[in-house]
Amino acid sequence: MESRPLVVVGAGAAGTAAAIEAAEAGVPVTLVDENPIPATLAGLNVPQFFGQRFARDLQDQPRMLERMTAVNEALAKARVAGVDVQLGTCVWGAFRNSDTSRVLDGPQLGLADRDRSWMIKYDRLIVATGARDLGLAFGGWNQAGAMGANGAHSLLHHYQALASRRMVVLGSGNLGLNSARLALKAGIDVAAVVEVSSSVRGDATLSAALQGKGVEVCTSHALKQAVGRDGEIESVVLIEIDGSCAPVAGTERVFAADTVCLAIGLVPNVELLSLLGCALAFEPELGGYVPVRDDRMRTSVDDVFVAGDVAGFHDAMVLDSEIARNQGRLAGVAAAESLGAIDSAEAAARLRELQATDADADPTDAPSRWMQWLQALLNTGGSDVFVCPCEEVTYADLVDLRPPRFLNWEANRGSRPSLKALVRDAPVNPDQVKRLTRAGMGHCQGRLCREQVALLLADASGMDIADMPVMSYRPPVRPLPLRVMWPHDESEQVRSEWAKWFSPTSPVLG
Amino acid sequence: MPPTSADVVVIGAGVSGLSSAYFLARAGRDVVVVDKGIVGGEASGRNGGMVSERVDEPLLIPMAVEATELWTTLDEELGYPTEFTQEGRLQVAVTESEMGDLLAERDVALRHGIDVALVEPSEIRDMIPGITERTLGGLFFPNGGHANTQLTVQAYAWALQDLGGRLYQNTTVTGLRVVDGRVSVVETTAGDFAPEIVIGAAGPQTGLLADLADVHVPVAPARVEILATAPVEQRFPIALVGNGLYGHQAVRGNLIFGGGAHEWADVELTASPGKPNTPLIRNIARRLAELLPGMADVPVIRSWAGVVEQAPDYRPIIDILDYPSNYVVVTASAHGFGISPATGKVVSELVLHGEASIDISGLGLSRFADYGPDWREQRGWTPAPLRF
Repeated sequence: MESRPLVVVGAGAAGTAAAIEAAEAGVPVTLVDENPIPATLAGLNVPQFFGQRFARDLQDQPRMLERMTAVNEALAKARVAGVDVQLGTCVWGAFRNSDTSRVLDGPQLGLADRDRSWMIKYDRLIVATGARDLGLAFGGWNQAGAMGANGAHSLLHHYQALASRRMVVLGSGNLGLNSARLALKAGIDVAAVVEVSSSVRGDATLSAALQGKGVEVCTSHALKQAVGRDGEIESVVLIEIDGSCAPVAGTERVFAADTVCLAIGLVPNVELLSLLGCALAFEPELGGYVPVRDDRMRTSVDDVFVAGDVAGFHDAMVLDSEIARNQGRLAGVAAAESLGAIDSAEAAARLRELQATDADADPTDAPSRWMQWLQALLNTGGSDVFVCPCEEVTYADLVDLRPPRFLNWEANRGSRPSLKALVRDAPVNPDQVKRLTRAGMGHCQGRLCREQVALLLADASGMDIADMPVMSYRPPVRPLPLRVMWPHDESEQVRSEWAKWFSPTSPVLG
Repeated sequence: MPPTSADVVVIGAGVSGLSSAYFLARAGRDVVVVDKGIVGGEASGRNGGMVSERVDEPLLIPMAVEATELWTTLDEELGYPTEFTQEGRLQVAVTESEMGDLLAERDVALRHGIDVALVEPSEIRDMIPGITERTLGGLFFPNGGHANTQLTVQAYAWALQDLGGRLYQNTTVTGLRVVDGRVSVVETTAGDFAPEIVIGAAGPQTGLLADLADVHVPVAPARVEILATAPVEQRFPIALVGNGLYGHQAVRGNLIFGGGAHEWADVELTASPGKPNTPLIRNIARRLAELLPGMADVPVIRSWAGVVEQAPDYRPIIDILDYPSNYVVVTASAHGFGISPATGKVVSELVLHGEASIDISGLGLSRFADYGPDWREQRGWTPAPLRF
């Protein structure tokens, strides 16, 4: 198995900066990034919420590779610095020994391209996997055209393959405003930016510029429903809401649009960190569960570092990629020092210089903002909306703990179990609710519903969202065809000593 | 505070414990169930969901046959859906030696009067669209099937509660007070209980729990792995065993298959053991793609591990002990899910009448009387040294 002193996952601003910094310090670095992704994956809304709004171009991998490389100058710099750059390569698993798992001879990652998978060992790992779109359900969001800000950004910026003509953006933070700006720049109409709060949340100058270009900014509004035909969104109905997020009757307005861009929040992609056992802490101002890390970007697991949105996302990072880049440099130096590539005095000096420019997070509590949106969308759109579109679980199904609808189960007893009953017995466990209702068990691997489920469970149980355990992450953290996962490097021993359910064939495992 | 009284305290809210609790509550007993975690939080809620007549383990055939009958009406009995699907179980051979094993198993089945049919590769391809051309033959058991594990264990729990049974989750047992040869008090983080009968159904913690009452129950915990694909169109409702794997296509359409090496582990009495996967899931994926080449493009979307326990002879222990005389050991050696309805029935009969209507001779604890505290070391059933 290949082994590398340093593997960096994610070639965004943070990951490339980390890789370059470490490589320039003399560390052999491998930088992997899953882009360009297969169109089949995008169709599953993985890793972002693409909402089927990608152009056919996305299937043309060489062309996508060309485009994404052209807009990411840091990739070329990384190559010049000697970084081994592997694009179109996803990291689907991360494995490390623990009390109940001792078979590995060192920590390792599972990698895959479109055709095959392999394992790679590392001495140090920098996780710069970014953030993903926060999903919040609204009526009609299971149609093509409902998508997320990062999905839109990826298609606009990396691939130039966003197939949209007219967009409504939900969320007036920098994330939403910037999505509108990028869309306009690409020639896409932006009908409106919608905000549940009474004022615009993001950059005032940017907001004014958008309005100057004819974008209507609708504060104190929510989306009531996206109306479509043949599974394609054609228009959206906005409605005014009052101070308690309740709809104001008779204020509906219809906007023609084929796309609704959810730009209410981003969620750090902590899957790999969770698999590795890195401590996660709930930080409301950083987008929920984020890795616990020191001022050198080192996690609770000694050989794992983080940088960029995965370490915590806040709205200021949308307009200033230097924040992520700087975290990348910090992680790169710290990893290089821990490998002995630079001496500690030199590292300390460089770290001081970088730490001086490390920006503060904005103090906004993301989950309470999400909750405000959730309430508004529930109040305006009703509870029969699919909170988990993959498994078709509605808000009402979730709260009533209804068995999956494909079972056609009719309760034949008086006592209908409900979330409230479950809560009376024990603190809510999202994994238990997941297995009972299937919310979060679909092909998008829970990306679109995790946070909503947590918010709803917190709401229904009266628990603080911060006390809600994280729904577990399991490998593969990307949907991976059986034929791709197939171990071409399988050893003869594993092959010949395969145990059939505790048959004592393996000398190692008994 | 004086201990809370109860007829029965069951320790462990897995399938075996909850089924036992349910049957006792149905018989009018006042039952309390405590668990260190949530209902079905360990192996009961995360296994392969297989239901079979256990022809591979003749000693268990009477219980397993009873279980397959009880399963057919379990949804109605409990009042909640388990997703039980009884469309049969197919075991296929891909090597000559496996074919030999199947023929031997068929003889066992016939001797025990169990419905079984030898099937040809062409029939197998009709039964399991997309299966490999490489099968040499198979055994079909029409009474086999599969169910949804978490729905099942929760169904037992809700049904118990509907009968007035009390369930304490996130509650750990801190002591078993033995007085005059009986467990007089079960000490827990939710208070003390003074039951007539104590049922220890603590899965991998069964041994550690019994230690509290100075009883040696030799079971070794082990971690096993399994994976699930995205849902695909329903192709086969039959439970399938072959190419070193066991599994089924769930009602929702996901392929759920496990197999391969287990890893011996240590657990703590009051904590949930870690349940990581290893790169073994790739080997499982390969074997599944080999078994069902027609479905090799289906994506794997998750995997998980579970910690089960094994007695030295890989068989359950179901026994009311002589000492402490009101302590019942229930541990299923990693086969608890499928036989769980029968387990509940048998345990309730043991408690209520002192004997079971199904033959469970051979499942008593006394068969391990010679096993000392170091049996795992002697057997090599201990965790490998940790390499970091």
